[in-house]
This record gives sequence, structure tokens and C-alpha cells, in this order.
Amino acid sequence: MSSTKRYWMDLGDLHQHPEAIKGRENEFPQDLAIDQVLGDQNFQGASTGRRDFLKFLGFSLGAATLAACETPVIKSIPYVNKPEDITPGVANWYASTFYDGEDFASVLVKTREGRPIHVKGNTRFGINHNPKVGKGSINARINSSVLSLYDNERLKNPMHQGADATWADADKAISDKLAAAATAGKRIVVLTNTVISPSTKAAVAALKAKYATVEHVQYDTVSYSGLTNANAKSFGSRVMPSYDLTKADVIVSVDADFLSSWGSTTEHAWQYANRRDPNGAMNKHFQFEARMSLSGANADVRVPMKQSELPLAVISLHDHIAKKAGAASVGGSKAEIDAATAKAAEALWAAKGRCVVMAGSNNEGVQVLVNSINNMLGNYGSTIDLAGHTYFKQGDDAAVAQLVKDMNAGAIGALLIAGVNPAYSLPNAAEFKAGLGKVGLTVSFSGYADETASLCQWTCPDNHYLESWNDFLPKVGHYTLAQPAIRNLFNTRQWQESLLKWSGSTQSYHDFIRSTWEANMASRGVMGLFADQWNQAVHDGVYQAYAATPAPVTFAGDVNAAAAAAKQAAAGAGEWELVLYTTEAIGDGQHANNPWLQEMPDPLTKLTWDNYVCMAPADVERLKLNMYLGEKAPASLVTVKAGEREITLPVVPAPGQKAGTIAIAVGYGRGENGEKVGKAACITDHNGEFKPVGRNAYPLAAMVAGSMSFEVLNVTVTPTGATYPVAITQTHLTHMDRHSVVKETALGVYKAGDKSAYNHAHELAVHEDVNGDGKINAQDKKSVLEFDLWEEHPVEGVGHRWGLSIDLNSCNGCGACVTACNSENNIPVVGKDEVRRSREMHWLRLDRYFSSDTTKESAKADGLGKIDMYLKMEVPSESPKVVFMPVMCQHCNHAPCETVCPVAATTHSNEGLNQMAYNRCIGTRYCANNCPYKVRRFNWFNYVTEQFGEVNPAWDDLGRMVLNPDVTVRARGVIEKCSMCVQSIQAGKLAAKKAGTPVKDGDIQTACSAACGNGAIIFGDLNDKNSQVRGLATSDRSYHMLEEVGVQPNVNYLVKVRNVEEEAAHHA
Amino acid sequence: MPLVARISERSTGLLYATLALFLTLSFTAVHAQPADAALYATGEKLFKGNCGACHKPDKDLTGPALKGARARWEGKGDIYAWIKNSSDYLKTGNAYANELFAKWNKSVMTAQALTNEEIDAVLYYADNYAPPAPKTADGGGARVPQGPNDAGAAWPWLVVLALLFLVVALSLSGVKKGLANAVQEAEGKQPLPERTMGQSIREWAWNNKAFASIIGLFFVVFIVLKLWDAAWVIGVYGGDEVEHYKPEQPILFNHTLHAGKSEAGNLAINCQYCHSSAEKSKHAGIPSTNICMNCHTAVNEGRSPEGTKEIAKIYAAVGWDPNTKQYTGKTEPVKWVKVHNLPDHAYFNHAQHVAVGKLECQECHGPIDEKMDVAEQWAPLTMGWCIDCHNQKEVKMAGNGYYDEVMARLNETDLGHSELKKYLEDDKISVKELGGWECAKCHY
Repeated sequence: MSSTKRYWMDLGDLHQHPEAIKGRENEFPQDLAIDQVLGDQNFQGASTGRRDFLKFLGFSLGAATLAACETPVIKSIPYVNKPEDITPGVANWYASTFYDGEDFASVLVKTREGRPIHVKGNTRFGINHNPKVGKGSINARINSSVLSLYDNERLKNPMHQGADATWADADKAISDKLAAAATAGKRIVVLTNTVISPSTKAAVAALKAKYATVEHVQYDTVSYSGLTNANAKSFGSRVMPSYDLTKADVIVSVDADFLSSWGSTTEHAWQYANRRDPNGAMNKHFQFEARMSLSGANADVRVPMKQSELPLAVISLHDHIAKKAGAASVGGSKAEIDAATAKAAEALWAAKGRCVVMAGSNNEGVQVLVNSINNMLGNYGSTIDLAGHTYFKQGDDAAVAQLVKDMNAGAIGALLIAGVNPAYSLPNAAEFKAGLGKVGLTVSFSGYADETASLCQWTCPDNHYLESWNDFLPKVGHYTLAQPAIRNLFNTRQWQESLLKWSGSTQSYHDFIRSTWEANMASRGVMGLFADQWNQAVHDGVYQAYAATPAPVTFAGDVNAAAAAAKQAAAGAGEWELVLYTTEAIGDGQHANNPWLQEMPDPLTKLTWDNYVCMAPADVERLKLNMYLGEKAPASLVTVKAGEREITLPVVPAPGQKAGTIAIAVGYGRGENGEKVGKAACITDHNGEFKPVGRNAYPLAAMVAGSMSFEVLNVTVTPTGATYPVAITQTHLTHMDRHSVVKETALGVYKAGDKSAYNHAHELAVHEDVNGDGKINAQDKKSVLEFDLWEEHPVEGVGHRWGLSIDLNSCNGCGACVTACNSENNIPVVGKDEVRRSREMHWLRLDRYFSSDTTKESAKADGLGKIDMYLKMEVPSESPKVVFMPVMCQHCNHAPCETVCPVAATTHSNEGLNQMAYNRCIGTRYCANNCPYKVRRFNWFNYVTEQFGEVNPAWDDLGRMVLNPDVTVRARGVIEKCSMCVQSIQAGKLAAKKAGTPVKDGDIQTACSAACGNGAIIFGDLNDKNSQVRGLATSDRSYHMLEEVGVQPNVNYLVKVRNVEEEAAHHA
Repeated sequence: MPLVARISERSTGLLYATLALFLTLSFTAVHAQPADAALYATGEKLFKGNCGACHKPDKDLTGPALKGARARWEGKGDIYAWIKNSSDYLKTGNAYANELFAKWNKSVMTAQALTNEEIDAVLYYADNYAPPAPKTADGGGARVPQGPNDAGAAWPWLVVLALLFLVVALSLSGVKKGLANAVQEAEGKQPLPERTMGQSIREWAWNNKAFASIIGLFFVVFIVLKLWDAAWVIGVYGGDEVEHYKPEQPILFNHTLHAGKSEAGNLAINCQYCHSSAEKSKHAGIPSTNICMNCHTAVNEGRSPEGTKEIAKIYAAVGWDPNTKQYTGKTEPVKWVKVHNLPDHAYFNHAQHVAVGKLECQECHGPIDEKMDVAEQWAPLTMGWCIDCHNQKEVKMAGNGYYDEVMARLNETDLGHSELKKYLEDDKISVKELGGWECAKCHY
């Protein structure tokens, strides 16, 4: 079937904007960096003549030669007493747990010579463990967390009023003040994020046992108070339930970004991916939302709605279902919204008990309605588990608001703050700061002198989680452990241990956890030796104590009151509505100091190093703002005003965004007042000023109806007329053209079984009578596989042939593979200015393609002429379909890069790998020019220099500890690219050789395949007849990107299949 | 290497050889022979092979000194049965045996599969044991290594002298200039124009062309020679001519003594006893100090006073008090100097070569057990050297399931079969043929 749908990469491409087209003609849009050197004023004024130059040259040559004669003396210092389980040169993996109040995952930590260098999901246990692929699902924030261990701005000692102090002094002073506060009957408040650690709760209880006035207040930066309160009202338990998406045939999400930020995301991600397999029972996903979220981008049916219409959508869904169920409707929606939700309601009703409805709103009323819908659909006990609920998001917005008031009233004797940063993240931060001054004792446990810690009297820095012992209870009966992978780097102490100390205990926190566990197990009558069970739990990282007992669920919510509250939440909409969200990389802002995360392009906007206003392209056009962003095309600045509060940010046109609603990410603008919050939170901007990355959008949130609302329905947007350079990776990487890059089809077409309908083979016309009809014409075609410019490489059947298979259906675009690759392969961080010049160094990028809805067929039906048809095909649909596509070196068996290298620096291995020898490379960049996939990166600079010290972790001695010692740090002037983690391949082969067995499928993983718990990236040996990757590569969905070029890659993609009926097949 | 240095090294070698010959002769002459030399030799061999780890003939070690053991047992029990299987013998309730057992910390002696005759030989050897004469600097003991700078120890003085001459020459030229100006002045002429040193030198050279050219020529030749030498040192030329890097180490550990053959009076400890990670890891590993203490808890004396001093350094490092036989807890890691330095971009894995390739350590590290009292770099470690070996060495495929699979795949397809034929043209499958010459096997 011929081309029906056009894919475009960005708006510049879509509109054939001259700037974009011009940019595409050049492989490297930026001129040579030599300008910078020659443009230097100092050089122009210099008077170095030719003879002087030759003298200098001669001298330098001689000096360098003489200097080089010195054999460097390298000291090698062995252990005095080597620990039994450490062998220098061999990695050790430790099971641990990552939890920061926002994300949770059971992880494995890779250490080399005692240094943690890489984090991946637990391959055997945990709620994020995907049993289907044997990997743990994680996100970019989790695997990047290893880098924050080595942040030089971490506090190295306890601090008192900004000066270093000792633990003894801190303990004495704080204990005294706590005692004084307790005696005076003043409240001692422990303010934390949601604590899911039983032992931490016990430690707080121990403090309370000592000081009777101790209280524990939990504060979620991104609040779910509305949801948990709704559950309290509906079912009598104030919890976040546990969702089982593997059982859900239909998922309807109203603004809940459950793959990226809503609920137990690492768990949802793999469950969702497992149900996206078109060979199995594929789920159907409806998403109603205003901004394009990651979940929305993955949805089968995405309906863009204004933020103020979303509560009505929930009402409308409720009434549709109520009608079918014979229950009373609440009423109050609009006809057009009822029409928009009708299909979803029908699908839900057809899948009663096998579906789920979720809403992202923090409005109690909306959530009660959602509970009612799920109750009517019989989802409790199947897709939603209330008895086996999670312990996430216990925070209570009302309690936090009350605390701020009490602080200002002088009612708080002491405030101990752990895991949260209210002076940054509270909308009423100013009030909070004022209140801090009225509290008798303020202690922060932050690892940095951040916004809150710098205002506290004492800072008792907590360990990094990789230096800590802890236990967690994410779900009923499911315990996990965190164990230290390295001894404390600095003079820090776990905050729980501080609490224990102040409560008069001398126990270490590790012993404390052990004793709580021992008591807990004894009380539940667990048989066997505790030490054995403990050791097993530490080894596995997970201890499944018991399963929740299912209990009947009775819905007791008042739907009419809820509907009234929901309508209230939809009222008062102005011309512009604003929604605040968290990005895939930065999240709620805790990790804004992580350079890997700052440089990870946003999955949808492809922007790095900034937050911005996402605006519908139609609105951008209406306001006459800059639509086409690029290296030399900056974004327009606008001021967004919500009541008294305002923020000025660049505007990024975001296809899929509902016109009239704008979106801004929180988590940026850390360290606004010069606080030292970590390495990359502030960078030198284009004006040479050292400034925070992005602006803080938290002040725009507000308390509405007892919970924190992250939407403001009436804001003003005023263009300032100024522009702002943005670092966007979107336009840089052109793909020759879109044809045959992305293939997608509808489930029905796929199920019909005709491969040529959705994944046709590429053929070329030849000048011979192939079909034997006696004529030579365009019908005489041969498969592209029969054409060869290159000599045959003996790969098939000879030794190994490593390959990757990438499933466009399972990939949700989270980007964990990108940061995993950064960590494994020592990829330099280059900073905003270099990314803007399209010089980012990522070996693995995540391409995102939007679709245009007009097809040749529909144009024909509408009677459009050719020109009109093409014009129309360029009009973006209101809600484009999205395809995410991880692209790394394709390891072509007929690699065009290898042919053009004048020094044979890039060659082919007999295992199918396209090798890159950095020491041979002389930097002609011919290979990058000749690569059809544009995956080769050139080292424009030595990134391990002061110039990049602000952003590149490898610059300082501490940051350098994160480097993988098995991978070379590349120097300036060479090309680098994905090696398919050849270091892991070699290590895996060696392990097999030593064991005397063939390499077992799945034993070797690349960083990206190990990071993808969704099973979207599968690595293996294509020559192994039984390997999973071979099975996928020879399946009907498998295709090669740009197959017609004939480069025969070892990486294949699986056609994206959407669970939609109406659409015809698409491939080109 | 400069010719002079080479000659000097050869002559030193010759000197040592003569000395050694002389000492050997004199040693042979003065050493008292036991009555039954053959039995003594048999006993010595058996002793070193079976008993030496725990016993010394003349001193207590883990077990008692064997000298006089037969006499001590006389009339108290069956020494043969005791040696053959001590734990069985203990069960007979022999009083002396139990007394000994209690005295030696109740450590059970390993059962010895020896005949009575062999036991006789060992005891004969122990009874007639005569300690060897003290070792000389050359005798395989803890010879103090010759520092690389010893031969050229005079050069700092030469530099000082040269500087002195320079100062004198400069002041003389200043005086000369002053005098010349004085003369000019006296003659009522203008003082000579001020000239820079460069100008003076140039003028002088112009006036003494022949001499200047000869000096210049010498200078150029000298520089070229120096650079040539320097290039040798840094291994530009590769091959066997590379200077063997042999840095001075903080502890004068003697590889030959520890790993050398027992026939030569050495301890014949397996290399991987200390470098245990060579089988497991990319690094062979410098043994941690606690490995030294496995033996040196007991062995606290060297074969020479210098040796004892070096052993004391281990104790200082690990925090061991040899008198109280207790750890003090005060440790100080030993800062060894790395001998084999590969560039960062080259990946080398010991386990691959030792455990899979089954190479002997000596194939790359040279006769470290025979004549390297101080470790030195033996192979050039250049890429040429690496790939040369990869080209010649046959892959040890037999009995390894991994390679069985490789062979099975080669035999499966026609393409594979023709490849295999190509491999086997020289009747072996070399490392190169399985991809051992490819860039990303060592560079990534």
C-alpha cells in the first residue's frame, strides 16, 4: 500500500520553513569551532611572525620530546587486608532500593573497586521487576542517581549557622534544645516526604517516646492529597491504591500521567508495556488531557481538552457508566464533552472488571467520582487493589498548611526537616521562610545547603542513599531493603541515626532496622533463623512477607457532593489556563543538580537545560511568537501571570497541547538565591551570568479546596518581545527523510496477517526482465537485499553476530536508556550552549515523530487537488500521533562509514559490530557525513577541562569516580558512537569461556537493554538460533530503518501497532 | 643505550659471574659432607616437597624442628605411625603424641603418604642438616638491587661544575668587556656599543667559523644521540631492544626466591598463590599484605640480614608485632611502583590469557622465577608484540564448551565451512582467525 500518512519531525519540517531546510542540508549546522580560536581578540593583536612561529614550534617539539622521555612512575597500592568479596577489576552488584518520595524502584548497584558506578533495575525481585523480560523497570532519574553521590557541593560536615560543626556539638546542642522545647510543652515537628520505611517511622516513634510533643507531618512536593482524601471518603482508608495494569484491557486516564509521574510509575510502565504486545491481548488506552504527557503520547486514543474541561470529562464518564449500570447520574457536563467521552465509556463498559479509570486531578471531588466509576465497573479487587494498597503519597496538604500557620504563630518549638525542601517547593515559601525564624530550633537533614537548609540553624547532612541502610514498605506485605554500596564519602550521618541519637539510643540505624525486623518477624511467627532470613533479604533487596488479604469494597462516597466540587474545580476559567507538571528528567526538582538529567532531552519537546511554556502551535501563531526554534532561532519570552505571581519563560510550540491551555514544568530554578544546591542546578547562561537552570514555577500553584492544586484556570500571557536561546535537539538530526524510518499499523491490519500490508519489503527497479513478461519496465524489481556495493562480510553462521531488536510498541519514550548509556559509556555532558549548537554527545538518542492526519485517501475523498493535498497534509492535527524511536549506531553489516574512513579507524568485527578505534581516528568526520542514521558524534572539545567543568561530571576528582574504568574517556578531535557496549560483550564472552559453556541468551546485556524493564530493547546473538533477539528479528513486524539504503543493520525495529480500528496501514 | 653504559653493564655482569664462581668453589670446598650423601639428598628433596611448609630442620616453625625428632621419640612411641597419620595415632592414646599435640596448639599434621624408608631419609636429612653458608649478594638471597641511577651518580656534580664554569665564564666576559671599554675610554673613543649575549656569541662565531662549526656539529650529534637514546627508552622502536623497566620498589621483594624452582633452593610458590586475581580479573593484582602474612607470620627471618629487614617492612605495613605475635591495628599500605603500564585506551585482561588461553605467566613476564630478583618489564608491551602473538598462538579450544559452540556454528553453514577451511590452512586456529586482530577486542 502506498504512503498515506506523512510523518514530520518538527514544525519547521512540517511547514518546510526555509531555516529548517537550510539547516538540514548541512551535516553539522554549526561552523567550525576554529572561529572561536581565531576570533579571539588577543590573538588578533599578537605579533607572532612566521619565523617566531617556527622557533616556538621547534622549541615545543624539542621540549615535548624531552618531556615525553620521562617514564611516568605510577604507584599501585594494594589493600593491606583485602576483603574477600572484592577482586580489583571485577564488578560487584548489590541489591538496594531507590526511594526519594517521588520514585520507587528496587535496583542493583554496580560497584568497581568499591565505587558505585551504575544503577539498574533489580533483575529478579521488586514491584518494578518485569517477570516477562527479567528486568527491572526504572526511569532516568533513578539510574542517574549514582552521579549525585559524587556531587562536590554535597555537605561534608554538619553545619551550624553556615559554618562547619562537629557531630558531638550538634548532638549536644540539638538534644538540649529538644529537651527544652518538650519541657516547655512546645511542639516538635518532624517534617518529611512520605515515609514508607517502617524503621524510619519507628525511629520517629523513638524520638516521640523521649519527647512527648513530637509530631510527624508528611509533605509531598507534588501532592496527591486529593486522591488519598477521596479514598478516605469513599472507602474509609486514606491510601493510594495499587493498580494492576496487566489485568486492564481498557485504560482511561483523565490527565493522569501514570507512565511518568502519577503513582507507582516504575510498576505501571512494565505492566502497561506487557499489554502492548500485539500478539497477546493488547490493551486499549484512552487519554483525556490538555498538555501532551508521556502517557498521552502512548495512548491509542488521545483527546485534547482544556484543563477546565477535564473535571467535566470525569462527570461525563461517570454519567455514561451510571446510565449503563442503572445508577443515578450527577449531571452537569456539556454535550460536546459527553460525545468525546462516549467511546471510552463504551469500551470501559464492555470490559467491566477488566479496565481502570484514573485521574490526575488533585481535586477530592473529581477523585471521588473516579472511585465511583471504578466501583460501578467492578474494578476494585481486579485492576485496583485497595487491600494491597501502596504506602506512597501519604502527605497531607492541610497539615502542611496548618504547620506553616503555626510556625508563624510561634507555636512550634522545633522543626526537623528531612527529604523535602519547602522553602523552594511551597507556593507560600515566603510565609514558610518567615515562620522558620520563629521556630526555636530548626534542623535540616538535607545533603546540600539548599533553599531550606541554608535557612535552618543546624544542618545535619543525611547520607546519599547509596551510603545508607534503610527498609521500605511500598505495598502491603512487600518489604525492600537499601544497603550501602560505599562507605560515607563525607562526614555525614543518616538522619534516622540522628533521630535515634537524640532519642538517647546508641544503636546504629543498621542495628535498629535489624532489631525492628527481628521483632516484626517474631511477632508474625516467622520460622527459621533470623540471621539467614536477614542475609537473604539483603542479598535479594526484597522480602515478600505476606500477601494482602482481599476484602470486599463498599463505596460510600457522596457522588453529588463530589460532582459539585468537580464543577467548582472547572469553574472560573479565563482566556488562558495553566497546568503545572513534572518532566521526565527533572521530576519535582530534587535532582535538578544532576547534569545527566539536565542534558537528557525531554521526550516530547526535545528541549534540554530549561523549563518553558508549552503552548499549542495555533496559539503561538496567534500571538505571533517564534514557531521555529533552533540554534539561531531563539524562543520568544512571555510573562505568565497568575494573580500576583508571575514568571517569565520562553515559549515552546508543543503539538498536541490544547489551545488555550499552557503548561509549565516545576522542578527548575533551583538555587535562585545563590544556595549551593549541587553541580548543574546553576550554569553560566548566554549573557555570562551564573544563573539557575529554568525558573521556579512552584509559586504558581495554590491551595484549592483543601489540597494543593497544580492548575490555575485564569492566567494572563503577555509576550515580552524579547527572545531567549534554547537548546533543542529536535531539528538537528535529520533523517534524510521520514519514509521507511517509522512503520506503524492498526491492530486489525496486523491481525489480518498480511505482512505486506504493514511491513512491505523494499524493492528496486532493475534493467532486466525479472517478472518474465518480455518487457523491461518499472515492474521489474528486486529486493534491496540483493544489491551490494560491499564485499560480503562472513557474519551469518560465523561465531557471534550481536544485534538489538527494538519494539516501538513497548517503548514509551521514558529515556532511561539514554541516561543508562551515559553512565555506562562515560559520555561527556557538554552543557546548554553546546547542545544548542547540536554538539550533544549522546550515543543513544530517542527520536520522536509526530504525525499529520491528512492522508492521500482523505484528500482524494475531499476532492482536493495535488497542491492543496500537500498543503493540507502539512496542517498539524490537533492531537498528533506520536512514535518514540530509540536510535543508536545500527552496526550495519555494510557500513557506509567504514568505507570512507581514510585511516581505517572504523572497521567491522567478525561479530557484526561496527568498531571505533579512537586512537586511529584523525577527525575527518567523513564517517559522520556518510552515516544515514546520524549517530556518530564528534568531540569538538576536550570535555574534561575547566571550560566544561560546570556541567561535565568527569571534570572534578570526585565526579570522575563515576566513570566506568572499562571504557576509554575520549579526547578532542575523534568521532565516537555506540559500541553496542562491547565491554559488556567481551566480559560476557569471557565469563562463558571461563565456565566452558556457550554464551547463554540474556546473560549479556547492553546498558540500554538492561535499563529497559519494559522489554522494548532486546539484545542478543543473531547467530544463536534460539535467542530471543533472533526470534524478533525474523518476526513479521521486524524491519530495518532505511532498509532501501541496503546497509543491512544488525539493529532492527518492530512495527508499531496501535489498538485502533479506523486507521489504515501505514509504512512510508 | 649508550655504548659506554652497555660495556659497563657487561663488565659488571662479568664481575658478578667471577665472584659467584669463586664463592661457589670455596663453598663447595668448605662445606662438610654428611656421611651418606645420597640418603641426605633424598631426604632433603622429600623434606622440601612434603615437610618444608610447616617444619624447619633446625628451628621450630608451625611444627617443631625435625632435628633430633627420632631421638626425642625414642622409647615413647612409633614415630613412623605418628608421621604417616598423626590423628589416627593420637587415638591410640599415646602419651607423648598427645603431649606434643597439646603443645603445638592442637594443630593436626597432615597425613603423609611416605614409606618408612622415606621417613628415615627425611629424619636423616634433618639430623645431619647443616645450614648453608650465608648468602652473598649474588647468591639468590635478598640482593640489594642496583638502582638505575647508580652508574650515573656523578652527573649532578657535572652539572654543578658546568654551572660554575658558566658563572666564571660570564664574569670573565664581563670583566673583559669592562676592560675593553676602559681601554676605549682611555683612548678617548666612544665606549663599545652594548651588545646582547646573542650578538656577542654570533660575532664570536663569525670570527671563529671553523671552531664554531666543529662545536656546532658536535652539539648537533650529541642532541641527536640523546634523542635516539630517549626514543629507545620510551619504546618507540619496540622489539627486544626496549630498556627493561625496573623501578626501585618500597620492599625489595625477590620474585626468584619466592617463585623460583626448588631445585635451585627457591620456594617454588605458584604465581597465582599471590597474584590470585589473574584467573578472575583483568588485573593480575598486586597481592594484599595479608597474603604475605600467610607465610610471614611464621617466616620472620630472611636468608640474609637484608632479607629480614625487608620482612620487617611487611610487618610495619600490616601492623604486626613479631615479638608478641599480635596485630597492632596500625597499618600503612605498601606503595608499590607499577611495572607494566599499558596505555589507557588498551584493554588487557589477565583472566582471558591465564584462565582461557592457558598461557604461562613467563610467556609475557619472562623468566621472573629464574632471574628477576626485582620485577622488571620483560616484554615490550607494544601493539606489534601483542598482535604478533595473536597471529601465532593457537586457541585452546579443546574441552571448552564455548569453543565447541563456535566450531558447531562454523560447521553448520557453507559459509562457515569455507571460513573454517581458511582458518585451518596452517592446521591451527589462531587467535587472529577468531577475531583477535580486531580493534574493538582491545580498544573500547
